[in-house]
Amino acid sequence: MVYKPKEIPEDINVTSVHPLINFAYLLGTVAVVSTLIYVVLGAIATQLATRISPEMEAKIGQQLVSDLAKKDKKVDAKQQQYLDSLLADLQKSDSSSYTPLTIHIQKSPVSNAAILPGGHILITATLLAEAESENELAFVLAHELGHHVARDHLKGLGRSLVFLTVASMLGIGSGDANVVGMTGSLTNLHYSRQQESAADVYALNAIVRCYGHGNASLDFFNRIQTEQKDPRGKLSSYFSTHPLTQQRINDLHQIASQRGWKMEGDITNLPDKIFDEEPNSKSNQES
Amino acid sequence: MDIVFVILLCVGYFVGNYLEKKHFQNIKKRERQTIHVPVVTFGAKQELPDANEAALFLGSVVVSADYFKMFASSLRNLVGGRVVVYESVLDRGRREAILRMKEQAISWGATQVVNVRLETSTIGNRTSGKGLVAIEVTAYGTGIR
Ligand SMILES: [Zn+2]
Repeated sequence: MVYKPKEIPEDINVTSVHPLINFAYLLGTVAVVSTLIYVVLGAIATQLATRISPEMEAKIGQQLVSDLAKKDKKVDAKQQQYLDSLLADLQKSDSSSYTPLTIHIQKSPVSNAAILPGGHILITATLLAEAESENELAFVLAHELGHHVARDHLKGLGRSLVFLTVASMLGIGSGDANVVGMTGSLTNLHYSRQQESAADVYALNAIVRCYGHGNASLDFFNRIQTEQKDPRGKLSSYFSTHPLTQQRINDLHQIASQRGWKMEGDITNLPDKIFDEEPNSKSNQES
Repeated sequence: MDIVFVILLCVGYFVGNYLEKKHFQNIKKRERQTIHVPVVTFGAKQELPDANEAALFLGSVVVSADYFKMFASSLRNLVGGRVVVYESVLDRGRREAILRMKEQAISWGATQVVNVRLETSTIGNRTSGKGLVAIEVTAYGTGIR
């Protein structure tokens, strides 16, 4: 056997493609696929938000609330009963969309209210303590009710709604660290300006049907407006999740006059001392 | 996007590309210089050619990928397929290792190198996903004269 020296041919083991072209192709693929997933998830979430069955929604809500329930301190039966009946009165005025709702009173230094999937309304004890009349408390409840009827709470979850639905379909997620982390941000959901004003109008409508007038129902918002300049104000927390401007209060008054809703009338007082705070927690907040 | 990331990517691409080009030129030159000595894989279970002396020769090299290659391959990891950017790294490693073995054998006076084997191993921690991504290529064979 004779050995004939030959030069080693190139491009056998190395693909002759420019590294930048290869890189651009890879980057393009990844970008296109991620965009596609993002868009598809968004479309599915929008569909889910409007079409999700009440059972499914209840399941998701259960999953979210089970973590919260542990944090709840013992609930005052009188407060709970009062809030339930107040909510029932508000719902009665709008017979078109009755779903059972649950109110959860939460001990929290901030003053806030939120609606979760499955008809769970969270309301902090601080907000209850600050309420000066039944009318303004009813407005806060009715506002959250308005979000519930418009399904804003599902829309506000956005793409995570898809994952929550899948998680509860598979029966995973309850007690899961991710879900716990999410519940923290649930009360910080941001709704669009249109959703907020729609909920406002719904709330005022319900109030007027319930009490015959809208007097004092906006007191809570008026107080936020004045406290808003003080960043330490407890009410500013509600303000942060429910951006409220003088414009919105004005809009409500305008709509009231357009539709002939009375804004004067007798103020319904809260039952005596029902939401008074414990003295020790009060002194903490003052410091 | 992070400016540091872009800088690293540019350094990886331009410096890495320049060094790779130089290395390939060097490899081709040395391959031409040593082409007269055959390097063959037979010899394990066949009879060796008639020879007076035989000795083991080993050539080993460690080649690292640059930042650009690592990022491109991590993108490739997402979609799968041929990791084209690493092909050149492996090719450099194999050819350099064979050349080092061959050059040693030639200086010893070998007429040919038989029973040549190649081995590859990775160097660096693969668990963290960061840090050194390098391969070691070892070529060994029996030089006869
Ligand atoms: Zn709202």
